[in-house]
Amino acid sequence: MRYILLVGFILFFISCSQKRVEKLKGFSYTPAGKLFPAKSGKGRVGDTYIYAPGIRFPIEEAPAYVNSQVYGVGGYLGEKGSLCDKRNYQYPWHDNYCEKRKWKMPLCSGGRGHQGDDIRPATCEKNKYHAVAVEDGIIVSIGKYTVKLRGKSGRTYRYLHLDPKTLQVKRGQKVKRGQRIGLVSNYMGKTPTSIHLHFDIMQTIKIGNKSKVMFVPPYTSLVDAYKRLLQGNP
Amino acid sequence: MRYIYFIFLSSILSAGGGILDVDWSSVAPKSTQQKPSTPYPKVLTEGIKDVHLPVYLSKQYVYDKNMSVVADENFYTISIDLDAAVVTFSGDRTYQESVSPNNPEFQKIAKATPPVEYNSAEGIMSAMFNRHGVNYSINIECENPKRDNRCQKVDFISSLYHSLIMVGGRP
Repeated sequence: MRYILLVGFILFFISCSQKRVEKLKGFSYTPAGKLFPAKSGKGRVGDTYIYAPGIRFPIEEAPAYVNSQVYGVGGYLGEKGSLCDKRNYQYPWHDNYCEKRKWKMPLCSGGRGHQGDDIRPATCEKNKYHAVAVEDGIIVSIGKYTVKLRGKSGRTYRYLHLDPKTLQVKRGQKVKRGQRIGLVSNYMGKTPTSIHLHFDIMQTIKIGNKSKVMFVPPYTSLVDAYKRLLQGNP
Repeated sequence: MRYIYFIFLSSILSAGGGILDVDWSSVAPKSTQQKPSTPYPKVLTEGIKDVHLPVYLSKQYVYDKNMSVVADENFYTISIDLDAAVVTFSGDRTYQESVSPNNPEFQKIAKATPPVEYNSAEGIMSAMFNRHGVNYSINIECENPKRDNRCQKVDFISSLYHSLIMVGGRP
């Protein structure tokens, strides 16, 4: 009896491992800085540095899709169609940090661009998927559509477009890595956006005897975190 | 060329963080010694009592008892809930990466940084500045970011920046 149980356990373990590998194999991504479509701007091609190593992926469960909201299908500068088009919900991921924007971004080509990466949850449904803390830290502010988490590392992570009615944190609350923050939605006050999580990372970079707070590229950190999530080790 | 440049950048960033030195000599003595004629609300004094950098807040909000303060010894964020908007005042003396001042990209960035930098991104208006060797920011987030002038024009945030007073912090 004991022997049968042991064999059963081993078979179950192998089956789970295979599923994980299969899932991971399905995941693909284009390199950091290679924006898609090309007309969406110039990213930091070649910058493969992981700015926030070891963070947890900011959405609780896979799959999730990093790609452009503006230039994706149904986006206001994208191909005509529904925001829920299946092409928006498939791999490969595309970096959208530094995508064309009017606002200042010193680390982007030309000094302007998108300061984070947009992530679609598994399906085109709002208020279903949990955004979670990427590291232990404290919720420093909650705005109208932004939650700011200051991690123990000192980095500040911003989560935009969570539905405020679903928030599970408050200002000053300490959170643990993986703790639920709120549900991903299209909330942007009175001007709704597409269903996605805008995620960005602010950190201070010391330049000689000066310093500057900057939005740093999140994509490589997200890829690294997502691989761990798929492997069952978020 | 750009590719090589970024590879170079990746290799010269150092992930060792630390604490920035506060230049207390540049803080007006009056700011540290003068007590307000009316005591500030407890939520403020208690919230920032352990902060080791100058704490700045717009004078129009210093007596707002509904403010919320999140702080430790190296940073603070004070949130003020307004009608259909939230304003935050933050200061931070930590850094997470360091880079050589000879790095051309960062040299350019450091040189191009004005004393106060206004920016509007994702509907959020911000002012960022460095004072006494540490970094500060003011952010305004509106319920109606595309129509609310506080998030569309710099006038309001500029008025907040110009009305900042030091309300606490100690060496």
